[in-house]
Amino acid sequence: MLFLKPLTGIVIILALVMTQGCAFSRGTIGEDIKSESVAEIKKAASTKADVLALLGAPDRLLQVNGRDVFQYYRYDAKVGSLLLILINFSRVSVKSDDLFVILNREGIVEDVILSKRTEGLAFRFWPFGE
Amino acid sequence: MCVTAIGCNVVRVTLNTPLTQNDVAFIVPGQTTLADVITKLGTPDSITESNMGVVATYRFLDMKYSRINFGWLLKPFSPVDPDLIISRTGFGTDAFELLCDSNWVVTHQSFLRRLSGPRFNPYPF
Repeated sequence: MLFLKPLTGIVIILALVMTQGCAFSRGTIGEDIKSESVAEIKKAASTKADVLALLGAPDRLLQVNGRDVFQYYRYDAKVGSLLLILINFSRVSVKSDDLFVILNREGIVEDVILSKRTEGLAFRFWPFGE
Repeated sequence: MCVTAIGCNVVRVTLNTPLTQNDVAFIVPGQTTLADVITKLGTPDSITESNMGVVATYRFLDMKYSRINFGWLLKPFSPVDPDLIISRTGFGTDAFELLCDSNWVVTHQSFLRRLSGPRFNPYPF
């Protein structure tokens, strides 16, 4: 155990000497999809007008299986960089939140599918491993 | 090692969580519905219609870039900043596609490219 202390000190000193700096950046596309607004959309009850009033115009309008599908999305990118004298490490992590609202021929909500992948998206600089 | 590492950059870009065969092993064509898939994998990135049914696509990317600037070796001896750079980028783009019938039951599933994932390797030749 005793020899570990000087080794730890050397590693810390080396890290401080070698580190030029670090950088954090973030970029987003689209508005946050609010879970509260999505919760207000009721299957077999809410109409197309209700959806538009709650969430605004969709980012994409699809026609699938004879139904209209409103797609809303948001992208979140987090960039972490560790700038050393000899080597730089950077990692860019991008994830998206997607909401699909499926409307039947009468314009009534048939299904609501939401997944928020950006929750838990962390700043990372280490490019190796997972 | 330090000498060869002078002027190195290692960059990784990931878009969404890359899916593997194990992640999609639960899907049984003819039985599993799109709702089951969404429960486990989240919403797809796109849903489109084809003549054969509905296509749901999960896209992901795992890009690896590495670069070495050997010109840094000459920096202490040169009045200018010389560059001798080698770099390589591996775009690990892939997608997982599901074909569903009119009842949203998965009929076919496949990865687009079946990538094993690029490696960090700056040697471009």
